[in-house]
Amino acid sequence: MEKVLLKNIENPRSADIDEYKKAGGYRSLSKALDMASKDIIEEVKKAGLRGRGGAGFPVAMKWTFASGDPKFPKYLLCNADEGEPGTFKDRPILEKNPHLLIEGMIISGYALGAEYGYIYLRGEYPAAKGILNKAIRQAYENGYLGDSVLGRKTKFHLAVHQGAGAYICGEETALIESLEGDKGQPRIKPPFPVNVGVFSKPTVVNNVETLANLPYLISIGGEAYARIGSPECPGPKIYCVSGHVERTGVYELPMGTNLKDIIYTHCGGIKGGKKLKAVIPGGISTPVLPPDKIDCPMDFVNMPKHGSMLGSGAVIVMDETVCLVKVCYRALKFFEHESCGKCTPCREGTGWLRRILGRIEGGEGMDGDVDLLLAIAGNIIGKTFCPLGDGAASVVQNFIKHFRPEFEAHIKNKGCGAGQTSI
Amino acid sequence: MFSEAAVREIQEIRAKYPTARAALLPAIYVAQREFGWLTPEAYEAVSDLLGVPKAIARGVGTFYAMYKQKPMGRHVVQLCTNVSCMILGAERLVDFLKSRFGLEPGGTTPDGRFSLVIMECIGACGTAPAMLVNDDFYENLTEKSIEDILGKYD
Amino acid sequence: MITVTINGKEIRLEKPVTVLEAARSAGIKIPTLCYHEQLEKYGGCRLCLVEVEKMPRLQTACTLMAADGMVVRTETEAIADVRRGVLEFLLINHPLDCPYCDKAGECELQDLVEKYGPTTGRFKEKKRKVPESLEDPVLVRNMERCVVCTRCVRMCEGVQGAAAIGVINRGGHSHIEPFSGGRFDCEYCGNCVSACPVGAIMSRLHRHSYRPWQLVSETVTICPYCGVGCTLVAQVRDDVIKRVVPRIGTPVNNGLLCSRGRFGYEFVGSKERLITPLIKKNGVLEQSTWEEAIGFVARRLGEIKSKFGSDAIAGIASPRCTNEDNYVFQKFMRVVLGTNNIDSTARTGYAGAQAFLENIFGQGATANLIPGLVNADAVLIAGGDPTAVNPILGLQIRSCARKGGNILTIGHVKGVRHYSPTELKPGIHAETALLEGIVTALRERKGLPGSIQALESKIKEIHRPADDTARTCGVTEKALASFVEALSTASTPAVVIGKEVIQSAGGSYNLLLLSAISYLVNARIHLLSERANEQGVVDMGCAPDLLPGSRPLSYVEFRRRYEAAWKVPLPEKPGMTIFDMIDAAKAGSLRALYVMGENPVFNLPNAKGVEAALRGLELLVVQDIFMTETARMADVVFPALSWAEREGTFTNMERRLQILRKAVNREGMEDWRIVAEISGNMGVKMHFSSAEDIFAEITRVSPLHRDLSYEEIAKSGIYPYKGEPLRGVTGDIKIEKTTAGDGGGLFLGVERPLFHSGTLSRRAPGLVKIYETAVARISPATAAARSLKEGDVVRVSSAVGSLELPVAIDLSVRDAVVMITNNFEGRGALSLMELVLEPILRAPIADKTAVTIEKVGR
Ligand SMILES: Cc1cc2nc3c(=O)[nH]c(=O)nc-3n(C[C@H](O)[C@H](O)[C@H](O)COP(=O)(O)O)c2cc1C
Ligand code: SF4
Ligand code: FES
Repeated sequence: MEKVLLKNIENPRSADIDEYKKAGGYRSLSKALDMASKDIIEEVKKAGLRGRGGAGFPVAMKWTFASGDPKFPKYLLCNADEGEPGTFKDRPILEKNPHLLIEGMIISGYALGAEYGYIYLRGEYPAAKGILNKAIRQAYENGYLGDSVLGRKTKFHLAVHQGAGAYICGEETALIESLEGDKGQPRIKPPFPVNVGVFSKPTVVNNVETLANLPYLISIGGEAYARIGSPECPGPKIYCVSGHVERTGVYELPMGTNLKDIIYTHCGGIKGGKKLKAVIPGGISTPVLPPDKIDCPMDFVNMPKHGSMLGSGAVIVMDETVCLVKVCYRALKFFEHESCGKCTPCREGTGWLRRILGRIEGGEGMDGDVDLLLAIAGNIIGKTFCPLGDGAASVVQNFIKHFRPEFEAHIKNKGCGAGQTSI
Repeated sequence: MFSEAAVREIQEIRAKYPTARAALLPAIYVAQREFGWLTPEAYEAVSDLLGVPKAIARGVGTFYAMYKQKPMGRHVVQLCTNVSCMILGAERLVDFLKSRFGLEPGGTTPDGRFSLVIMECIGACGTAPAMLVNDDFYENLTEKSIEDILGKYD
Repeated sequence: MITVTINGKEIRLEKPVTVLEAARSAGIKIPTLCYHEQLEKYGGCRLCLVEVEKMPRLQTACTLMAADGMVVRTETEAIADVRRGVLEFLLINHPLDCPYCDKAGECELQDLVEKYGPTTGRFKEKKRKVPESLEDPVLVRNMERCVVCTRCVRMCEGVQGAAAIGVINRGGHSHIEPFSGGRFDCEYCGNCVSACPVGAIMSRLHRHSYRPWQLVSETVTICPYCGVGCTLVAQVRDDVIKRVVPRIGTPVNNGLLCSRGRFGYEFVGSKERLITPLIKKNGVLEQSTWEEAIGFVARRLGEIKSKFGSDAIAGIASPRCTNEDNYVFQKFMRVVLGTNNIDSTARTGYAGAQAFLENIFGQGATANLIPGLVNADAVLIAGGDPTAVNPILGLQIRSCARKGGNILTIGHVKGVRHYSPTELKPGIHAETALLEGIVTALRERKGLPGSIQALESKIKEIHRPADDTARTCGVTEKALASFVEALSTASTPAVVIGKEVIQSAGGSYNLLLLSAISYLVNARIHLLSERANEQGVVDMGCAPDLLPGSRPLSYVEFRRRYEAAWKVPLPEKPGMTIFDMIDAAKAGSLRALYVMGENPVFNLPNAKGVEAALRGLELLVVQDIFMTETARMADVVFPALSWAEREGTFTNMERRLQILRKAVNREGMEDWRIVAEISGNMGVKMHFSSAEDIFAEITRVSPLHRDLSYEEIAKSGIYPYKGEPLRGVTGDIKIEKTTAGDGGGLFLGVERPLFHSGTLSRRAPGLVKIYETAVARISPATAAARSLKEGDVVRVSSAVGSLELPVAIDLSVRDAVVMITNNFEGRGALSLMELVLEPILRAPIADKTAVTIEKVGR
């Protein structure tokens, strides 16, 4: 399949507007501006495009809500917070293909009736900030951004807003808070951002990869797009693979590519011929899978049927040398650190889980700790304000579900008996 | 007090948003650069310039991990130890930084050259382990490569 | 109509509310912690989770809007488990220090744990340890106990609008801190204390001195400090007020208080309170008995009256005393002594300004409801900082701004600086010219409505074009234009007038101009009032030209009516104002002065001059609760009961009548009783046995107060009551114009701090700890021009006095002004002020006192 999202990224000058235009860039924008905005939404609907940020929400539906709200101005926010551990799929677009994103945003803005866009960029991507700012400047100079896009009545302004190190700001309402100059703490829904979003105006938040799909989608049309990959949620998808495979990295493949194929075919299998122990398929918040459960199509619809989720498509592969208690501990350390502190179960529960995991890992686990972990996780799940807390608790539940004996052994042997730790 | 250039920079940032408050995060970045770290004066300066109460500016500032609430060394080593990096040896690198450079997580070398901040995922999992030194990414780290890289910063 | 079913009970709702509110309305209790009815929805604590049919997840009742047909269960076993789980989380880091914690007994967390049962101690790690912070003089912070409900922070930012505290850090490291990390340095409203459900933020004033269940009695009464008249609850143990708290649902302050109301009550129990009557013998005040002192005063007054005539005697009433005290006092002056020489410190601004405005617009012109300010779409502030003078009114202005209202200020108003005010900052003495410019522009834009001819003819004479205004006042034409634009397009504007424009050369003209603005844009007027019963003292007839009900003495029919009621002929001649009295004392024509609850030697300009004048009196009688500067000079001093020790009514700045109730017992007499005793001793018995009795008489004689009773007032004391206000009585408008600009030099300004109020607050240790000492506040430019640093000691001198004070550099002070408060003994701003009266308002001119400052070598 021809690459759409990662097109040309080997070209060292791919971020430059001239290179982008040479390869056909900004043509979809002209095409889109010739269409009625509702027809664009119609194409997106036909394409069956789902958000790539993790939840897989149908894009056209979100856009319809926002464009139908009578309030003006409307805002389009690009979620470039990419904070889910294991995820590095948006970064190549941001650093190597910024114009693809910008073009996608202008098209989306036009479709929605949004005249202002912000790219909420995570603070940990300083290089991307410079690249995006330069690309935006070029887009202004070339008449793609401004009060009159390509000389037409359409107006679209775009700016980068840099986050400052808070995973929760990936959650769309926290992102909005943060953009407004507040702490990144999720808001009560409803009202939903499509009605009352940033600056109290209708707001669409879409992921980088989602928006980067737009130029291609418009160029080939919704129906053609819908034929790529999984019928239920079509399109190209970037999978990012890290950990113990021969060839880690980003892979643009049709949505629904089998996880096993990704690991064994595209990534060359487990590094050094070791045995596979576990795979986290979609970023650290998604349920871990044991080796016998990885034969599954990686998309939003099928992964849940196989006991996990597509999430951000961030595949973390762990070989037999890895101590899963330690991984679980490290994951909870992450959640504890990133809990925004707004709601009790997440604020207090993540730290408690982390401490128990820490003592098990450190050889000081007590009898009953595994059940205590499950009990605490049970008191978190379904009771938190936002999905972060649920994610934290489900990590514990799933690690124990698939690897309970390893936890028990840790407690019994006062540590990692098999010497499996990677230290 | 901010330098004139910083005032201008913040005013330019301010113009990108419909409210002054929205310029708070970027303005805190500027303050951090200007004052070295987020001293009470830094927050007051931001507060005065944007008309945001200073306790709010500080509350927001302390929420985010990348804002420095204490003095930092000349160069900030930001090493990821999240899962992908961890399983590929990030913890060994932490030990190495300690033994070779006397750098403890959250600490600063006595000569003020480096500070070490342990990061959550920095989006370089495919090239793990990875770190940022100030604004520069370094990936596929080994003890040897860290030694060479840090040698470039003085 | 929305119908929801909660726990099987059908509930009908008139308007959309949350499930929590719906449940409460039906008497179903759902536990909450982060919810607070004065705050926006939050949904953080997760204690209010409930089951809702057709919704897969549990829902927080505090955030979920009740929808028609919703079926909710709040008390299933599963939910109880969830709540136990949440409580367990809250307790893992919460110390088990209930036996030591002052909150025990009224702690929401403790109550919940009691209800859902303790947890089994599954948490084995070390609890978070945070030392208690005692860095602040009145607030203690204990972050171990914090449950991060953020009620305090939301209160501070969203309701008080001070934004002085914030949540620092995030996640499990979240805790609440003021900016400094230690001292709060805030407005000290203490609303965070009310908001905190646990013992994390508390008042130090009563630290470890009682347990909530030992507070044997609670009294709902009215704050003694300012003209807003907040309702407060005094909680008492062993006849000592241990704590003052607000109550949600009260009309004026609805659950909020300011620093004075909350932390200023300790004067009641002060050891410095006067205990026995004192009589001066051989130049020394000596303890005496009530009998002797009353007899002495009665005799001396009788003698002076017969020797020098009634008008050789005068009385000063008090805006801190009740209506009943003041009524009895003026009746005594008029009926027993036969003089209209009765006045109060309301004369220093409020009384004259109100009379001026009522003369234009009719009685009640300033009787506008404070909470109504929230709904204004533009608020013009001139002459002071409402958030300091009348803090709860100030909050309404902030809420108004938060709802999108325009705040327009003449000068810099510190308390609204975070509310994007449109400011016009005229140079010194240029306010008048600026107001002229505004009136001119408004008249040009809006035209004259044609209803009040007298005012319109004055407006027609006002002419100051924009360019001239801008030049004269040092503002830009653009700023002026946008100011006028915001005013003229407002549909529900309000004008807030403070003392600084009144106590000014040309104060009457300023008021005319502000009246003109109010008239042209149809604004409601709020006249700031610094004393709790400033309106009441006027309405009770404690004015040389007014009878109770604010009836002009000059109208024969009114006089007749009172003569009939009191059964004596009344003196026709208007009496002396408070300032006339001082002059007369100096000149020797005034022989006796009776001062009830006032301290003229401190509270009138030119302290030394006042003191010298009073020295010439044959008889000075003072009733007070403390040995004040004036009491020290008296021949007889009566110890009065304080506000907390008696009953009565106050009339606030909205002219709302409110009941004061006795909170603690103390031996002694109310002010009115002392006066009545003296009266009786002089042969005129006053048959009052209680304040309520007096009020009954007031309602009989004052047409304004007709048909009222305490019972009525308890329901609603809102003006215009049930009697007859003097609506139509308006008259010619007299003004005194001044020319703008004096240029050069420094002038005295009177600082009106949030933490003090006259001389009362200096006996309230809590307030003194917050604002400890008088300072000379100057602008950075003034300081720089004289090479002064913060803390340098300077001598501030005027033609009538000088003070040595430390310098405080303050961005909000104007360049040509030295601001000093009038609160600290021996260091009051008024001691520097020359006594020059504005001829129409007969209020002192405060802004023309030239001062110099020089550094004092140390
Ligand atoms: C805790 C949390 C973290 C999230 N982080 C990200 C993120 O880093 N990037 C992202 O695009 N979406 C993230 N999301 C999902 C967003 O809330 C939102 O669904 C998404 O930005 C919508 O865009 P999409 O429809 O294009 O996927 C996160 C959600 C949660 C609950
Ligand atoms: S689950 Fe609660 S504390 Fe955790 S991130 Fe979401 S809102 Fe914040
Ligand atoms: S009261 Fe509803 S979540 Fe706290």
